[in-house]
Amino acid sequence: MKRSTTSSGLTISLGIAAAVALAATVTLGLTLPRTVEQAEYSRLIAIHPGIAWTAYTAAVVTALASLLWLLPRTRRPSWDLLAGASAELAALFTALMLVTGSIWGRPTWGVWWVWDARLTLSALMLALLLGYLAIRRVPAEPEVRAKRSAMTALLAVLVVPVNHFAVTWWRTLHQDRSLDLTPEDSLDGAFLGAMALGFLAMTLVYAWLCVHRFRVARLEEAREEAFLADAIEERRREAEAFST
Amino acid sequence: MWRDALLVAAKDLRIERRSRVALQQVVPFAVLVIVLFAFALDPDRGVLTRAAAGLFWVAVLFSALLAVQRSQAVESAEGVRDAVRLSGLDPAGIFLGKAIAVAAQLVVLEVVLGVGVVLLYDVEVAGIGTLAATMVAATAGLAAAGSLYAALAAGLRVRETLLPLLLLPVVAPVLIAATRASESALSGTSFEVSPGDWLGLLGVFAVVYVAFGLIAYGPLLED
Amino acid sequence: MGYVWAGYGITLASLAAYAVWLLRRARSLDRRAR
Repeated sequence: MKRSTTSSGLTISLGIAAAVALAATVTLGLTLPRTVEQAEYSRLIAIHPGIAWTAYTAAVVTALASLLWLLPRTRRPSWDLLAGASAELAALFTALMLVTGSIWGRPTWGVWWVWDARLTLSALMLALLLGYLAIRRVPAEPEVRAKRSAMTALLAVLVVPVNHFAVTWWRTLHQDRSLDLTPEDSLDGAFLGAMALGFLAMTLVYAWLCVHRFRVARLEEAREEAFLADAIEERRREAEAFST
Repeated sequence: MWRDALLVAAKDLRIERRSRVALQQVVPFAVLVIVLFAFALDPDRGVLTRAAAGLFWVAVLFSALLAVQRSQAVESAEGVRDAVRLSGLDPAGIFLGKAIAVAAQLVVLEVVLGVGVVLLYDVEVAGIGTLAATMVAATAGLAAAGSLYAALAAGLRVRETLLPLLLLPVVAPVLIAATRASESALSGTSFEVSPGDWLGLLGVFAVVYVAFGLIAYGPLLED
Repeated sequence: MGYVWAGYGITLASLAAYAVWLLRRARSLDRRAR
């Protein structure tokens, strides 16, 4: 089986580590004891917080990469490609965070969704990420697209603290629900261990996916440039054929 | 920069005066939205009256999308981009001018819409000062953010569908803050968060987006 | 318990699907480059 060029020693080690950590997390998580507050539903503690943490990390990577691209001194195409790759993963993990949170919330809170500060902010973050990904998909020259994407990313970052205050203040008016998913009586030993393992596993999965996604993006850029070079070459040959 | 801004704002407003797009299309659209809300919700005036502030600002948001797209479309006409570049106008001034023009149109729209909401939704206004301040602060933010994102999406072929997707999540805090501040003006009571805090948030939003627009508009025009 | 299975299942399935899609795209880009 021939290895693809996005594969390397790094990705293989990352991949194996991620797979092992993920398997351990799932095994540990599914065998956690039942709790008084949440019966067996607290087993989701092994994956949900880890997914949330990874989603935020991926978004931060996108923001930093965008900043590095915008600053003239550090501008390199790699930063733009990294920003795009990480944003795709951030969207994936944010969506997963919302889904697992919703699934966890249904039996514990009784509803699929509550308009509490954290969930609302997460939903807004997903919307911002989807907007960023949409602007990346619009066909344009790499420089133009990179510039607009980077600006979009930074604007999204700037609005996050504003969102935070707006939504948090908004929801302080309605303090009836206890909004924490993690039940009080589970924060010890095995549960904390499972959660920590989940953090590790999800981060490794993200890292592995991100490297591959970044390299795929680089291959696509190269392919675009090759097409362009070929087209220019074609034109040049045609022009020469005419003039001779 | 200010001189250029006023030049551009005057130009945009003059275009509006001649073409009357905002007056004949955007304002009726906003009024239509208000009417549709009345159809969609229980005509029992209790619901509409309670939701009036929120519905008002949602209608303003949608109208702002149209206003900002129209403002950008004016720039995308044949040869205009090159003419603007050659004119030597300060890009920051261009941004400011366009935002001011959009803001002016939005304020007019809000006044008209406000009267409509008071009449149609059976609303009593207790704090007109708060309402006015809210309108100013929110409009500034909407105009600045809208003009900026419209420029970001300009020249890209899927602009019409892209802009709402980009802009609406960004102005969500404006919707939240403006609605809460307006609510306290309508009912005369305020809750745990004072309208002053909400106005402050609107102000921060506006400052951030005006600042970013002033800095980023130049590089954006270069493409 | 069904909810727990659903949560774990959706998570693993989504991650796996994305990974598969990504690796296949890498492979197809490779093929065209050669």
